[in-house]
Amino acid sequence: MYYYIFDLKKCRKHSQVTDIKNYLASLGISGEFTYPSAAASVEELVDLGLNKKYNTIVGVGGDEIANRIASKLVGQSEVMGLIPLETSNDLNRLIGTGNWKDAAENLRYRRVMETRIGLTANGSSFLTDLNLDLKNPTEVTLEFRDYLVQARATSVVISNFSERIKKIAPDHLDIEVRSAGPKQTGIVSAISGLFGGKKEALGYSVFRARSLRLFTNSQVNLKSGGYVLAKTPQLIESSDEDLRLIVGKKT
Amino acid sequence: MENNTDTIIGINVTLKGNLHNKGSIQVNGNIDGEVRSDENILIGETATIKGPVIAKKIEISGEVKGLVDASEKLEINSSGRIYGDITAKSLVIKEGAIFVGKSTSSSTPEKQSEQNKEKVKEEEVEKTEAGDNKDKLGFFSKK
Repeated sequence: MYYYIFDLKKCRKHSQVTDIKNYLASLGISGEFTYPSAAASVEELVDLGLNKKYNTIVGVGGDEIANRIASKLVGQSEVMGLIPLETSNDLNRLIGTGNWKDAAENLRYRRVMETRIGLTANGSSFLTDLNLDLKNPTEVTLEFRDYLVQARATSVVISNFSERIKKIAPDHLDIEVRSAGPKQTGIVSAISGLFGGKKEALGYSVFRARSLRLFTNSQVNLKSGGYVLAKTPQLIESSDEDLRLIVGKKT
Repeated sequence: MENNTDTIIGINVTLKGNLHNKGSIQVNGNIDGEVRSDENILIGETATIKGPVIAKKIEISGEVKGLVDASEKLEINSSGRIYGDITAKSLVIKEGAIFVGKSTSSSTPEKQSEQNKEKVKEEEVEKTEAGDNKDKLGFFSKK
């Protein structure tokens, strides 16, 4: 019934793999254990698990393995589980825990939540958010269905699920932009620095949309959970279908 | 505010096109196009809008060049500037605000329907009177 895909890079020691396996066996939810390699990617392992008629595919690792499994299971009746190892706070909040033992318990209780995921045109997906990896304020253009937005941004975050922002529509992405003013030098810069706090608050923008196109003057990475998931220019959208995800009792 | 508002347009951000929202909108940046909300629109001091602004309640502290239509309440603060016609059921203009345009007060739907009924009655009376006159002149009785 349970098909586990381990991300060995996220395991602190090899003994942690054994600990997790033993704990799952003690809970009575042991299953088939697999490991991605050059011969079989995470996506190929998910396909293999589905072909073998497993109804629960569990990622053991961080945000990357979670996102890659989610991209294959969205719209499917099979359920996704996650045993988190060094996952982002948002992902921990989504599944209800950052502790692998608690997550294993949750697999046994099997409380399933249906959730949309974020998709990019390059075939990747994200459960939580996507950050534009900006080192300096950068001119960005966000093209929505009925309007386009231009800003000199210090940060752009596209969220499917985030603890920072209240979700208004489950099938919409929440887009946060923090903008900087036009380039200033010398005394103008010093004076504007005095009022920086207020300006920073006013420089916050938020938009809700099913999809958007994101453009930058030069190519910039889009990161999720610390790894590069896509690059600009990019089409980003909310999935039309749900992912069935095992979450904690309080999520 | 950040969490309760559907859409926020920050300072130094430019939006081109039509922004239509069910929820509230807060504008601190620049918009070139229509802004429409089923709830409230708050236009901050740093905001400039070129285009119509339509919502239930609208509060303006920035600049709007275009029609402003508030089905419930329109409040123009002392830093607010409107260059265009306004329609509002309830209107508050604070000292120092600039308003260049025509103001229309929209009445309640009940009053409007009563007024419409009265209009219909008047028209019926006029028609009857006209008919009587026609009859008096012998248009229908003439053989």
